Amino acid sequence: MVGLVLISHSRSLVDGLRDMVAQVAGDSVAVEIAGGTDDGRLGTSAPRIAIALRAALAASPDGVVVLLDLGSAALSLDLALEELESADRARVHVSEAPLVEGAVLAAVQASVGASLAEVVTAAAAAATMAKLPRD
Amino acid sequence: MPELILTVADPAGLHARPAARFVQAASRFESRIVIRHGGHEADAKSLIALLGLAIRPSSEIVLAAEGPDADAAIAALATELAPYLGVPS
Repeated sequence: MVGLVLISHSRSLVDGLRDMVAQVAGDSVAVEIAGGTDDGRLGTSAPRIAIALRAALAASPDGVVVLLDLGSAALSLDLALEELESADRARVHVSEAPLVEGAVLAAVQASVGASLAEVVTAAAAAATMAKLPRD
Repeated sequence: MPELILTVADPAGLHARPAARFVQAASRFESRIVIRHGGHEADAKSLIALLGLAIRPSSEIVLAAEGPDADAAIAALATELAPYLGVPS
């Protein structure tokens, strides 16, 4: 199964998002989070992201999709990815999808045993998904 | 192509959680499974497609399947999703 890593400047944000993802998709998908700095402030931390990546990779034989919020999250993620072995890095896909919607769509797709490519495609659809009912 | 007309029983309509249950249940079958609603058709194995139908409570939907296990798929989905979908109308 494919797993997820959720990265945000805020620990509470990804904590809550993980709960939401588990309720929608069930708890079969490994979801690791990296939110905030090492000392609990708002920000991102490469070491925390690296820990989350390793845990998700260990739990997810079919690969890992990473979703992140904004700004320096991408920079910290790059540093964390550099710490991984190249074989592990090859099993990680970083998604451009919006964090909340992308995480939900990706997790549901992962929960049915979809491939890494299928989960990535599902997450990508979050960028253009309609939220308000059409008339 | 077996079809079933259902009424959405969940007071919030076919929102994220029941739609996700739908995707998970439908994905177990090989057949192509669709939901039709309001002149649109969505792949029942795709969460974004189902959410895109914006199905409101008490609306009528058509569940249809085509493929080798179509009959089994319709029967299983109707049973498993009964709490959300209500009885066939």
